[in-house]
Amino acid sequence: MSVESRERILARVAKATASRAGLPHPGALVTPVTDDPEAAFVKRFTSSGGEVVEAGPGRERSAWLTRLLRGLDPEVVGVAVGPEVPPEFRPRLPEVAAAHAGAGISVAWAAVAESGSLILPSTGTRAVQLLPPVHVVWVPRGRVYGRLEDALRELRRNLSAGVGLHSGPSKSADIGRTVVTGVHGPGRCMAVVGSYAPTGTSET
Amino acid sequence: MATGIKDYAARSREIIREDPGVRESVTGATIAFDEKRRQGYAEVDADAWRRWAEGVKNHTLTHLDRYLAEAEEQLQANGAQVHWAADAAEAREIVTGLAVRHGVRSVVKGKSMVTEEIDLNPVLEAAGIEVFETDLGEYILQLLEEPPSHILGPALHKSLEQVQELFADRLDTARDGDPDTLARAAREVLRGAFIHADMGITGANFLVAETGTVALIENEGNIRLTTSLPRVHVAVVGIEKLLPRMTDLAGFLQLTARAATGQPIGCFVSLIQGPAADPGDDGPEEVHVVLVDNGRTDVLAHEHAWEALRCVRCGACLNACPVYRQTGGHAYGYVYSGPIGSVLDPGLLGLHEAMPLPFASSLCGACEDACPVRIPIPELLLEWRREAQEEGLTPWKERAALAGLASVATRPGLYRLAGKIGSRLGATGAARVLPMLGEWSKDRALPKPSPRTFRDLWREGIE
Ligand code: SF4
Repeated sequence: MSVESRERILARVAKATASRAGLPHPGALVTPVTDDPEAAFVKRFTSSGGEVVEAGPGRERSAWLTRLLRGLDPEVVGVAVGPEVPPEFRPRLPEVAAAHAGAGISVAWAAVAESGSLILPSTGTRAVQLLPPVHVVWVPRGRVYGRLEDALRELRRNLSAGVGLHSGPSKSADIGRTVVTGVHGPGRCMAVVGSYAPTGTSET
Repeated sequence: MATGIKDYAARSREIIREDPGVRESVTGATIAFDEKRRQGYAEVDADAWRRWAEGVKNHTLTHLDRYLAEAEEQLQANGAQVHWAADAAEAREIVTGLAVRHGVRSVVKGKSMVTEEIDLNPVLEAAGIEVFETDLGEYILQLLEEPPSHILGPALHKSLEQVQELFADRLDTARDGDPDTLARAAREVLRGAFIHADMGITGANFLVAETGTVALIENEGNIRLTTSLPRVHVAVVGIEKLLPRMTDLAGFLQLTARAATGQPIGCFVSLIQGPAADPGDDGPEEVHVVLVDNGRTDVLAHEHAWEALRCVRCGACLNACPVYRQTGGHAYGYVYSGPIGSVLDPGLLGLHEAMPLPFASSLCGACEDACPVRIPIPELLLEWRREAQEEGLTPWKERAALAGLASVATRPGLYRLAGKIGSRLGATGAARVLPMLGEWSKDRALPKPSPRTFRDLWREGIE
């Protein structure tokens, strides 16, 4: 039945489109290019309710992240960490299932200044990106795109099954037009910029 | 399908008379959305963006057969399974069949107009499957057993007090619970549903032909969860949702968000290519995409109405519409309400079935000014009115008014003159020219004659 419907629908579409001239694609949408994508990302991401933190230099990132998580309110006790996060970028806290974790730790494929987005591939674990109330995302150094179009053009070659663009905390204004955060996804989304190198070994 | 469109006028009067809180809630929310949209447009070269988006959609719709075939091929290459549904019954049958085949007992759903259009939930429930609407607004309406009233804010006609009452009765929250507490109570119920669901069902904002990508925009994270946690994901997608390339998606994600809420982009965007493939990926084992016609090819074939298929369902035209603001979406009697409903429904359902929606407008033009893909809604309304007149579908009163209105509204000079006359005659006099205003004014205190023109008056709501 679905096969018959396929033929029928495509035939109807073809007939309708044949009845009018094919219109040309207008080409690329021209949007402004920024000189400093990282600064522009910080501005856009924070204005949407995201938080940006800078990790300390050297090999102390694991300890730094542990301190950051312990200092949150409420204090993070157990974490869920994506498989893509290298050892020196994992906090020294007990790892628990994402549904029970106080924070999820991931690595972004890239960030985008224009939309203030973190691009998260599904080579990481999606539950880590979505279930804990806090999501901390390492942004690889030098991988902040100015324009979303440039990021998506590049992403085409790196598409995993389910990519997520996260551009701030989960929010809703469905009750009494009051904005509440953390409705289903994380209520806090923290991007760590400037220190993560994909090999996990480079110094800042 | 059976709709309540025929009762539009009676239902409008009833809502205005019996439930004035609806008008208050809807007007407040839509004015706020509209203001955000203006701010969102002001930050970019909105005119250029809108012209570009119109061009991309026009290109896509005039090559739709090619892009549908390309999307299908890509989705299959990604490991997704593609189904085609000629009508609502077939779409329901496909989704229910998948649920039964996978032994699904529980479904989580992301907000989706097309699943409302095909009336999916009742058949799933009849098959013994528990269905959870997971968008907060949709969840509220599911508890109330009401359809959505707005594309974007399905429960925007409900006041805080109404939700407090509802949640106190159903979720045992305090009767004066604040929105944060109420949202947390809903989250708790729905978190369990996400974790235990066997199937996630969503619509799609866009389907990218080049990569076979189902793209979904949202703010809550419920769609990301719906497409990630259950072992099967089914995306029900209208055939007009195609975009040619991934780079086109960049513009549409941003423009749609700006038109809808003024945001630079939705808090969450899901780009679904197919089932989980990488070792660390906990996404679904199967992804199914159901491509739905259900009247869309009729709209595509229509000489004028095909332009309505550019719609990205942002809700901006509803927010800008002074007529919609008086009643919200329920008065319209069908899933697509407001200005876009009034031009799309006649194409999808047949003009006879959609009467008198083409008349549910003052033709003020605010919808077209707001629309991110520049759908000429007032022109299309006039076209449907002309066809209705030709087919003898309008009662004599409407027909007489239509004759005057159509000639005035299609000639800007005369339209402005009519506006000036309206401002002198007040709403009663002007209602002779604009028939639907007569329907409102039967049951409402009439506004004082305004020194401003009728277009201005309608632009801001009647008062
Ligand atoms: S017609 Fe335009 S403004 Fe209205 S919902 Fe569709 S895209 Fe948005």
